[in-house]
Amino acid sequence: MAVAQHTWIGKDIPRLEDPKLLTGRATYSDDVKLPGMLEVAVLLSPHAHARIARIDTSKAKALPGVVAVITGEDIVKHTNPLPRFCPEEVVEYALAVGKVRYAGEAVAAVAAVDRYRAEDAIGLIEVEYEPLPPVTDPFEAMKPEAPRVHENLPSNLVFEKTLSFGDVEGDFATADRVIRRRLRYHRASAQPLETAGAVCQYNPATGRMDVWSNTNMLNYVGWLLALTLKLPPSKLNLIPMHVGGSFGSKHILAKVIAIAGTLARLTGRPVKFMEDRVENLIACENLACDRYYDAELAVTNDGIFTALRIKVVDDYGAYFQLSHGTHGNALAQQTGPYRIRSLEYSVQCVLTNKCQQGVFRGAGSDAGNFCLERLVDAAAEELGIDRIEIRRRNFIQPEQFPYKTPAGNIYDSGNYPAVLDKALQMAGLDELRKLQEQARQQGRYIGIGLATAHQRSVYGPTEFWFWGAAPGLTSVPESVGISVGPTGDFTVTLFSPFWGNSPETVCAQVLAEEFGIDPSNVTIAYEGSMHGLPAAGPGGSRMTVMLTGAMVGAARKLKDKMARIAAHLLEASPEDIIFQEGRAVVRGVPEKSLSYADIGFKAYWFRLDLPPGMESGLEARHTYDHPYLTLPSPDRKDLGAFYPMMAHGAHIPVVEVNPETGQVTILRYVAVHDVGTIVNPKSLRGQIAGGITQGIGMALFEECVYDEQGQPLSSSFMSYLIPTAMEVPKFEIGHVETPSPFTEYGVKGGGEGGRMIAPAALASAVEDALRPLGVKVDEVPMTPERIVRWVEAARQSG
Amino acid sequence: MKPPPFDYFAPRSQPEALSLLAQHGDRAKVLAGGQSLIPLLNFRLAHPEVLVDINRIPELDYVREWDGGVVIGALTRQATLERAESVRARLPILSEAAHLIGHLPIRHRGTVGGNLAHADPASELPAVMLALEAEFVLASQQGRRVIAADQFFTGMMTTALQPGELLVEVRARGLPASTGGAFTEITRRHGDYALVGAVALITLNAVGRCERARLALCGVGPTPLRVPEAEQMLIGEVPAGDLLVAVAERAAAATDPPSDVHGSASFRRKLARVAVRQAIETAAARAGG
Amino acid sequence: MAQRIPITLTVNGMQHEVAVEPRRLLVDVLRNDLGLTGTHIGCEQGVCGTCTVLVNGESVRSCLLFAVQADGAEIMTVEGLSQGDTLHPLQEAFREAQGLQCGFCTPGMLLIAYELLSTNPAPSEAQIREAVSANLCRCTGYQGIIEAVQLAAARQAVTAAR
Repeated sequence: MAVAQHTWIGKDIPRLEDPKLLTGRATYSDDVKLPGMLEVAVLLSPHAHARIARIDTSKAKALPGVVAVITGEDIVKHTNPLPRFCPEEVVEYALAVGKVRYAGEAVAAVAAVDRYRAEDAIGLIEVEYEPLPPVTDPFEAMKPEAPRVHENLPSNLVFEKTLSFGDVEGDFATADRVIRRRLRYHRASAQPLETAGAVCQYNPATGRMDVWSNTNMLNYVGWLLALTLKLPPSKLNLIPMHVGGSFGSKHILAKVIAIAGTLARLTGRPVKFMEDRVENLIACENLACDRYYDAELAVTNDGIFTALRIKVVDDYGAYFQLSHGTHGNALAQQTGPYRIRSLEYSVQCVLTNKCQQGVFRGAGSDAGNFCLERLVDAAAEELGIDRIEIRRRNFIQPEQFPYKTPAGNIYDSGNYPAVLDKALQMAGLDELRKLQEQARQQGRYIGIGLATAHQRSVYGPTEFWFWGAAPGLTSVPESVGISVGPTGDFTVTLFSPFWGNSPETVCAQVLAEEFGIDPSNVTIAYEGSMHGLPAAGPGGSRMTVMLTGAMVGAARKLKDKMARIAAHLLEASPEDIIFQEGRAVVRGVPEKSLSYADIGFKAYWFRLDLPPGMESGLEARHTYDHPYLTLPSPDRKDLGAFYPMMAHGAHIPVVEVNPETGQVTILRYVAVHDVGTIVNPKSLRGQIAGGITQGIGMALFEECVYDEQGQPLSSSFMSYLIPTAMEVPKFEIGHVETPSPFTEYGVKGGGEGGRMIAPAALASAVEDALRPLGVKVDEVPMTPERIVRWVEAARQSG
Repeated sequence: MKPPPFDYFAPRSQPEALSLLAQHGDRAKVLAGGQSLIPLLNFRLAHPEVLVDINRIPELDYVREWDGGVVIGALTRQATLERAESVRARLPILSEAAHLIGHLPIRHRGTVGGNLAHADPASELPAVMLALEAEFVLASQQGRRVIAADQFFTGMMTTALQPGELLVEVRARGLPASTGGAFTEITRRHGDYALVGAVALITLNAVGRCERARLALCGVGPTPLRVPEAEQMLIGEVPAGDLLVAVAERAAAATDPPSDVHGSASFRRKLARVAVRQAIETAAARAGG
Repeated sequence: MAQRIPITLTVNGMQHEVAVEPRRLLVDVLRNDLGLTGTHIGCEQGVCGTCTVLVNGESVRSCLLFAVQADGAEIMTVEGLSQGDTLHPLQEAFREAQGLQCGFCTPGMLLIAYELLSTNPAPSEAQIREAVSANLCRCTGYQGIIEAVQLAAARQAVTAAR
C-alpha cells in the first residue's frame, strides 16, 4: 500500500512544545508553589520484610516547622487501598499497615514547612520492627513453606496459568528439532529525570481536591484515585502538568497522591510530595519485568519455525497493581514477525519482598522479543543456517495481511523483508564481515547483531484481564476538542498530559492537514479531570494513532458545522464546501469563499445569520475509541484483536567486546523502523534514538539489584547506571512506511520500538563477537563481570 | 535528599581556618569543593555539626614549579590542575588523571586537597600521588608537618589528618628524563569512579631497559595501593611481553578489592591485571617515544 | 533558631538579596526563593547534571553547592538565555535539531552547550559528545542534542550573539 502524499503529515515542523521547554517556562509538578504549602518527606522501611511493632512520632511532631506526621494507622482511617487491576486480594495502602513488605516501603510521612525540616523530622521517628525472613528468589517464594508476603493469600504464587493456541503438542512432536534456551531478563527501572510527585490542595467548603501531579491517566483512572482518597470522583480535580519523562512509570501514582492528599486534608494547607531520586529508585513501585524464561522453538531441518512454547516466571515484588498485564501485552506479538502456527505460554507470577512492578517502555513485550530472537539465533546456529536467511524463510509475507496470529491478535500490515533489506543495505554487511574477519586476525572480537522484531502499538485493555475468566474493561479512548474562535483562531484541547512525546505537534499537524492552516498558529489547551473527556493518555505507543483519530473525528464534526454555515452564507450546498488555505471555498467557484474568521465571527455573534436551528459557537469534541478491538473468546482460545497496529523494526548493531574486561563498545547501530505513516519525522527519530538508548541501558548497564536480605543495592545514580552520551553511538536510523488500514492516515505508534528491539539485537551482537570462544548469551544486562564469566566458562568447557 | 543542619563558618585566612578547626575538633569538617562531601550530606550519611568552608582563602589555590615538579595548593580546582601548563610539562600524569575525575562541572568545584583528604579508594589522584611519592603538608595551630603519600592514606576513607589539621599543600617532585607515565582506568561508564585504575611511571635507560618503576592502583582495597614487589620485577628488564603478565599478576595478588554492585572482588582482581599491564605498556611506549 | 546568612546572588544580571540557612542548596534557593524554576532537580547527588548552572562562567552542579558559597557570584540560569519571547540562537538550534523531548534535562544541556561553545567555538563531534556526557538525558538518546550543538556551532550561535 503506498503512502499518500500530504502537505503537513510527514513534514518536519518545529515542535509546538519546545519554546516553553527551551526557556525553562514549562510547569512541572515540582514548580508548583502555593501559599502556605508544606513539603513532605517519607520514612522508608529499612527491612524487606518485618512487622511494625511500634511507631513513635512524638519527637518528629514536636520539631519546629513540622505540621503533621502520619503513619499507616492514619492512612487506614482516611484512605482506601490503592487501586489495583488484579482480582486477587493483594491489598496495598499508601503507607505500610502492620507490616512492611519491601525495603523502601513508606512507613510514615511528615509534612513540614520545607523538605529540609521534613527530613529532619523523619530522622526523629522511632520505629520498632520485628524482622521477618524475606523472600527474594521467586523460585523459593513459590514453595508452600516460604514466608508469605501477604498472609491473607494462600501462596506467594499469586497467579499461574497456561494458555495454549493451536496444536502445540502435535507440532512439537513432529518437529525435526527443538531449540531450547533458558533466559534471564533482569529487573530495570524507567528512571525519568523527573521523579514522581504531587501537590494537593483540599477545600473543605467545596469538598474539592486539586491535584497538580505528573500522573498520566487523569481522565481514565482518575476516578479510582478519588475512591482511594474517599472523595466523590467529581470532586477530584487532577490538573495536567508537564511531565519530565515517564516511560510508563507515571501512569497512576496513587501512592504519592494519597500521601499528599491525606496530608492536605489533615493540615488544611497545600501539600507537596516529590519523590527524591533514592525513593524513585527503590520505592517508585513502577519497576520493569523480572523474568526467567524456559523457552522452546520447534523447527524443521529447513529452518521453518512451527511452534513456540514458553514458560516464564516473573518476580512481581510485593504487590500486584497491574496484575499480569505485561504477559497479556507479550501475547500481542510473542510469535513475532514469523509464521509460527502454534503457541503455548505458561506464566507464574510470584510475589517477593521487593518493590513492585509497573510497566517500562515495552511493557513485557521487550522481554518477549528478547526470548524469541535468542531462540531464532539459536536455531540458526544449531541448524547451520545463516541468521538472516532463517528469518527470511519465516517472515509473514506482505500479501498475508491482515494476519491473524495463533493467539488471536491481528497484525494490521507490514513488510518485514523490505525492512530487513533496508537495514542490511544501510549496514553494508559485506564490509562489516571483512572488518570482523580482520579484527579476529588481530585478536579482537567484533560482533554483528541482528534482531527483527515487533513493536505493537495502541493497546487494548483486554490484555489486563483475558488471562483470567472474568470479563473486564473494554474502553481505552482518547479525546480532543477543537474550537475556532470569533477571529478564526484554532484551539486544540487535550485531555492527557505531555510526557516528552509530541501531542501538541501531532494535533497541530493533523489540524493543518485538515484545514489548510499553519500549524504554528494553533493554540493548545489541556483539560483535567473535572471537565475532561475520556482519555487514557500516553502509553503503549498509542498517542499518535489515537490523537490522529480523535483529531480527524473532531475535525469532521467541525467541518460539518462550518460547511453548513458557509453554505448557508454563500448560498451553496454543504457538500460543495471544501477547506483549503485557511478558507471555506465553494468547489469550482473560488471567488465564493469565507475565511475561518468570517465563519467564527458569525458563529459566535450572529445567531440569526446561521442556518435555522443551529446553535451558536464553533467547537467540536470527539472521543476516539480503539479502532480495532474485539473481545477474547470465552474459552480464551482466541484472544481477539487487542494490539493490531503492529509496527516492526530491524536492528543491526556492531560491537567490539573485550573478553578480558567484559567491556562492550558499540561501533555502529543501524535501525530501520516501520511505524506506518510518519507524522513528524524528526520526532519519530528522536523517539527511536531515545528508545534504543534505553535498550542499550537494558542490554549493558541497567539492573535493579537486591541482596539476599532484599536490600536494594541500586539505590542511587552511581549504582543504577543510565547511559551517557559516551556510551551510545551515532544512530543510523532508516524508515519504511507500510500504512495501517485501520487508522486515520495509516499511522501506527513508534514510541517504544527502540527499547523493545535493542536488547535482543545487542545480545545477538555480543554473542556474534564471542562466537569464536563459544559463548552463548542468554541474559541481560550483559555486565562486564557476566561477560568475563561467560568467556571463562566457555573456555573451560571447550 | 537535603542536608542536615550544621553551623557554618567561612574563614578568610588560613590562621582563621586553623583556629576554627582547633576550636571545634572532630565536630568539624572542612568544606572545599564539596563534590564528595555534599552528596554525603544530601544522603544524610554524614552529620558534621560544623562546616569550615575554606573556599574564601585564595592563597590556598596555586600551582607552582618546584624541584622539577610542582607544588599544588589544596584549594586548587581539579580543572585547574588538568589545564595547568607547568603540570602538563613536568608531570603530565597528573593532568591525565585529573581529566578522568567525573565530568567538567565536578572538576570546576572539586579541589585537589579535598579529593585527597576524602581518600575515596576508587579516586584517581590518591593513587597518582602514591606513585609520585608526593608529600602532603598538614597545617594546624601547632605548625606544619610533612607526610609522605604512603603514610597519608591510612584506611578506608581515612587519612593521617588529625582533628584541627588542614591539608594545605601537595608536593610532587619531577621525574627523571625518559620517564613515561600512564593511567589506565576501567569504568562502567565514561566519568564514573574507577572499577579499577592503575598508574605506571616507567623510566627507561638508553637501551630500553627499565631503570625505575612506580606502580599504584586505585579501587583495589581500602586505600590506594603501591606494589614495590611488582615494581622490582621490572628493574633491568625490557617492560614487555610475558614479564608484564607476571608483574600484573604480582600486583593483582597484593590487592584486596571490594565487592559491590559493579563487580565482585575476584572480578576486580582480574581487571587489576589488565589495567596494570596496559598502564605499563603505555607508560613504556611514552618513555621510549 | 536556625542560622540565616544574608547573601547577594547576581542571577542573569539581576541582583538578589536573600537570607538563607547555610545548608540550603543553591538549586533550592534559585527555584524557591528566587522563583527561577527553569533549573531542575534530578538526583541531588551530582550525577545527572539536570541542575547545571553557570557560576562565574563555569558550569557547576547547583545541587552540590550551598547558596552561601555562591554569595557574590554571577550566576547564569536558563532564564538568562532568551530575551523576552525571542529565543537565543542556541535555543533555536536545539529547536531545529529537536535536541529535546520532555525538556527536563534541557536547561542543563543548554548551559553545558553554552559553556562549550564559549570556550571552544568549533568543537568536533567527539568533543561535543564528551561535553554532553556530563549530563544525563533519558529521552533523546543524545543524537538530537549533539546535532543541535553542531548546528549552533556552525551558526556561531554563542560567540556571534555577544
